[in-house]
Amino acid sequence: MNYPFWDVPVLSGGGVIGLIAVYHLLIALFAVGGGLYLPIAERKAIREGREDWLRVLRRHAKFFLVLTAAFGTTSGVGIWFAIGLANPEATSTLIHNFVFGWAIEYVFFIVELTMAAAYYYTWDKIDRGLHLKIGYIYAASSFLTLVIINGILTFMLTPGETWLSVAGSGNEASVFWYAFFNPTYFPSLVIRTLIAWSLAGIWALVTASRIDGFAYPGLKKQIISWSAKWLIPAFVLVPFCFLWYLAMVPESNRQLLDLGISTIGQGTFTQVTRSALITVMTSATIIALVYFVAVRNSRSFNLGWAISILLLALAATGATEQAREMLRKPYVIGDFMYSNGVRKYEVAKFNSEGYLAHSIWKSKDTSSMTDVDRGELMFRGQCGACHTQTGYRGMSVLLKDRDERSIENIVGMLHAYNDDSPYRKYMPPLVGKDDEMKALVAYLKTLPAKPAK
Amino acid sequence: MDASLSQEPNRGRRTLAAAIYGWVDERLDLTGLIAHAREKAVPEHRHSFWYYWGGISLFFFVVQVLSGILLLVYYRPGPEAYESVRQITYDIQFGWLIRSAHSWSANLMVLAVFVHMFSVFFMRAYRKPREFGWWTGLILLGLTLVFGFSGYLLPMDDLAYFATKVGLEIPAAIPLVGTLVTEIVRGGPEITDVTIQRFFALHVVILPFLYLPFLAIHVWLVQKHGNALPPSEEAKPEPERRSIRFFPDFFAKDMGMWLLSLNILAILASLFPWQLGPQADELAAAPQGIHPEWYFMSQFQILKVFGRWFPGAVGEFLGIGLFTAGLIIWAVIPFIDSRSASGSRARTAFYIGLAALLGLIAITIWGYWEL
Repeated sequence: MNYPFWDVPVLSGGGVIGLIAVYHLLIALFAVGGGLYLPIAERKAIREGREDWLRVLRRHAKFFLVLTAAFGTTSGVGIWFAIGLANPEATSTLIHNFVFGWAIEYVFFIVELTMAAAYYYTWDKIDRGLHLKIGYIYAASSFLTLVIINGILTFMLTPGETWLSVAGSGNEASVFWYAFFNPTYFPSLVIRTLIAWSLAGIWALVTASRIDGFAYPGLKKQIISWSAKWLIPAFVLVPFCFLWYLAMVPESNRQLLDLGISTIGQGTFTQVTRSALITVMTSATIIALVYFVAVRNSRSFNLGWAISILLLALAATGATEQAREMLRKPYVIGDFMYSNGVRKYEVAKFNSEGYLAHSIWKSKDTSSMTDVDRGELMFRGQCGACHTQTGYRGMSVLLKDRDERSIENIVGMLHAYNDDSPYRKYMPPLVGKDDEMKALVAYLKTLPAKPAK
Repeated sequence: MDASLSQEPNRGRRTLAAAIYGWVDERLDLTGLIAHAREKAVPEHRHSFWYYWGGISLFFFVVQVLSGILLLVYYRPGPEAYESVRQITYDIQFGWLIRSAHSWSANLMVLAVFVHMFSVFFMRAYRKPREFGWWTGLILLGLTLVFGFSGYLLPMDDLAYFATKVGLEIPAAIPLVGTLVTEIVRGGPEITDVTIQRFFALHVVILPFLYLPFLAIHVWLVQKHGNALPPSEEAKPEPERRSIRFFPDFFAKDMGMWLLSLNILAILASLFPWQLGPQADELAAAPQGIHPEWYFMSQFQILKVFGRWFPGAVGEFLGIGLFTAGLIIWAVIPFIDSRSASGSRARTAFYIGLAALLGLIAITIWGYWEL
């Protein structure tokens, strides 16, 4: 409770993070996969004496540099701004727990960016062997950024028993490696690497689509066919790796995937299943389109098709990331911190001493405030991380058919947080004293009722 | 192992496949069909994108048929209509997905058909010898709209009930026969279980019975006459025109478009699944801002506005009259612009098309604006 609330109307803070993250991921994973694609393709072209390939690759390297160094880096910083504002407590935990990790990550970032620029600007200006070495250093450093960030991201879903046993004691850094190599670390690393290679192939198709297939049919076909092969490892292995990943996820989180099979009720939590469906559908379509439209029809494969495939990759990435985020509910850091930033071990304290008593970012003594105003503070503090008033997961829509009694019941149920509560699977408990719960009800009642459609 | 022995199973499979193919080919002339498809060329130019919209419309129709058959397994027309849709949406595994796919593809199909119609119009693909293609297309559009209207009531939630009630005001405004026709369709003066039964029969039996023959004729005409060239391509000398083979090149891209359409449908159905409102209650007040589906909005708005400007039967008559006149002009456009070269008639037709397109969009937006 050391931070102010970041109120994002309509979209919610989580929505902002999601939008930036999906956009960033599509470029960041390209930076990893494309980093390997470029030197391997260059090596092949040099060995086979294909100057026409090299000209295309140089163009691709420029595109790669602009996209990853300009758009990738700025969106990466954007994510940190957004998560720092939307979920400061969780961000604080990540920073304090992984100081060493962040330090290494930034070293690799600097090497990566320097090498990307050196790779493009030294093209045809230095010895080809040395140029290739720069490309391989880039490939290694960009992969290592994934190796590090993957540890921090997977930690949030499965921090592991060892870290949880010391969490909150101040000795978390002593079990750094346990937290880093947590249960979902390796399956996630393999999946992300495979996806990165696929994206390298998909982005290469964008460059290849610009080649005039009627003037250079052979060149276009060869580059498209070779680039398409970068999708094969992911096509073959990701389904198995996904099962491996799921096996490492706690059973309670896995159950969220079943929820949406039979119903679209229960708020937006059935969306995990629906997002997973989109992932499967779009991924399969990418493979089909790459084969039938790009490889088999390379001559007339144009930018429109390449962009369509890229958009499908965007949909697949977005859906997968959303499913992964939702799978973590009700926590933002598994079994340690709830999605609204309340630590699990703080629940009893907040219930006995009051939630607002520990919120330092309020303008005056809450005892002189009206119930509705105090309720709004409760809403912003405990609900605002996931809900807006009238926009994304808007309370006015979710509560539109509920009267005061019914709102009291649902608030009471979330406050009691009994073992058999259906909300326990995906929502954090509402913490605070009884008068704070009443204040929250008083505020929720004031939200304007809006029709669902 | 002996090499000849190891190859034996493959050869056996090839022989069997060849034998089956030969047996079918002898009777259906598959080789001739494939050869014909390979010979057939599709023009390739900067407006080629619009050639895919007929196929996309067909794809959504196929989804309608398949998802509709699956819905039939659990849907119970009559007094239990609402409860059966509730079970499909909230109890039965992936029932929500089938229903959402059906509802979304209905909307996407109407949209695709409109895009197809206007692209055909602006490519002048209604000119000789494609007039029957144009007319059968218009009939299919009309039937598609009735499909949408009749299907909308079937869940019988409050939105479906009141939107249908409002929508039936459009045919009821037809002079002389409007009231009679509407009562026959409705099965009485009010929407009841009888109406659901009638709409259901219309939706799953009568309309498909009418639709399929026209669809077959339409597709056959497209195959017979091939893709029309837009005026800008027609103006080019023959050697400068590019084309690709229908099979496998255009066919693969067409299938690619189908896959893209499937993905758009899957994303919409998954992220925005079709919910079910409270059960219809004719005694309850209509929900605020009730209106028919978006593709009937322009007609609805015209009737509303004319009713406001000219109260009583005059307004209804003028509104319906305006729409009927528009439809007649639209249908006889092949006679208005029959020449292949550009000229004053071609320009007139272009302005008619532009007015129709912008008019429909503007009136629809106006309708939503006034809700």
